Amino acid sequence: MIEARLDMKLLEMCSKCGACFSICPACQYLPGYDPRAVIADILKGEWEKWIPSKSIWQCLECHHCLETCFQHYGFENAMTALRTVAAKRGAHPVQVKRGWDMFVKTSRLGEPALPARKKLDLPPPKDAGAAEFKKLHALIKTAREEKAKRGGGR
Amino acid sequence: MKDFAVFWGCTIQTRFPFIEKSTRMVMEEFKLPYRDLDGFTCCPEKSLVNNIDHALFTVTAARNVSVAEEAGCDIVSPCTGCVSNLATVASELRHNPRERAEVNALLKEVERTFRGSARLSHLVPFFHDTVGILRIRQRIKADFSGMRLAVHYGCHMIRPSHALKNDDPLNPRKFDNLLRSLGAESMDFPTKMLCCGQGLDRVDQHENALQLARVKLKELKNLGADALVLCCPSCFLQFDNNQFLMEKEGEKLGVPVIYLTELLGLALGFAAEELGLGHHRVDCSPFLRKWEGLRQRPERPEGIEAGLNSPGVLG
Repeated sequence: MIEARLDMKLLEMCSKCGACFSICPACQYLPGYDPRAVIADILKGEWEKWIPSKSIWQCLECHHCLETCFQHYGFENAMTALRTVAAKRGAHPVQVKRGWDMFVKTSRLGEPALPARKKLDLPPPKDAGAAEFKKLHALIKTAREEKAKRGGGR
Repeated sequence: MKDFAVFWGCTIQTRFPFIEKSTRMVMEEFKLPYRDLDGFTCCPEKSLVNNIDHALFTVTAARNVSVAEEAGCDIVSPCTGCVSNLATVASELRHNPRERAEVNALLKEVERTFRGSARLSHLVPFFHDTVGILRIRQRIKADFSGMRLAVHYGCHMIRPSHALKNDDPLNPRKFDNLLRSLGAESMDFPTKMLCCGQGLDRVDQHENALQLARVKLKELKNLGADALVLCCPSCFLQFDNNQFLMEKEGEKLGVPVIYLTELLGLALGFAAEELGLGHHRVDCSPFLRKWEGLRQRPERPEGIEAGLNSPGVLG
């Protein structure tokens, strides 16, 4: 499952380098956060134990590792792969779940603050494209179901 | 200058409408050809949507870009996250014809097409490159000479660089240049490029988020910065809102946080109240008081001003 999402060859190289470790803000300031341990476990095939872990949500997605990485790969990809698996199993943080529900329901992460806008003399907010968005979301879901029925892919 | 649509994003319109206010005031003062378009959804937010559904992330972003393209507009956003997410998807689709065809087959169902022709910019590189330092210098009525400002880039203004291509991803300059163009000193400090850490608040790790905010704010307090200047609503939430929460718990750091559009607005002669500085949680008055004090000084000799305004010095 996770192997399909990650390029194990790049990850193998990654495990021998660690150039981004000293530049990663989470590694510097969050005690116990070390993606090198996670990557070592992925390579050993023991990534399952990281799915319920808080660690995989501590990657700040600042892309610093991506820019430092000579393979342009970085820690981030490993974390994203594990987060995706965790989310599929419903093991993602409550706030992420709440945000996702709001997003698929309204096409946005929050409604414009109308009273404050009026006070500040701002124009009414524009249409948020929710109808088109919902249609596209439904189409993606249908396509996925059909693909699953045919037995191909995720 | 080509017309551009402003991509306000969810956070500014939901939580910080005063940032929208100051952005509009500044854009109007510079007579920029901006438009408000119908149909923009959430960009969508990467850490939230991409971790759960990559296809929906890609299609939603591509659709937003296509909305601007159909109106013949580029996109400019005062939010770093929005620009970064839109640019990441646009770059992926520009380089992957197969994925692009798949996305466009879906978009056809809502009568849209992703062309990949719109330029996507964040406000900082847009002011630096398209409006230009010289034009800013010509317009401002007051500057910030004597003020020591700390710039916070915001990771997604400059990274991932393969998609954004607007500044050096590890050693950026444009935001510093804008501050200098307003006469301020742009401070150099060890944690300058440190991520704000707001992402941790979105994954139920509030204490860790505070921990990261504390690192930079403490350093700036010790160095005596007059304000932290940024241009990202997420970083603003982290440094203004969370700093206020720490203050309430008895940890007073007292670093005013100023949005770039507010700084530009002040330089253009607008009052702090009109620009919405009163809506900040952390008190901005020490910053304003010092600035007022400095402005009471006698004017500089004309020759120096003329030298600064001539082309080729900063622009």
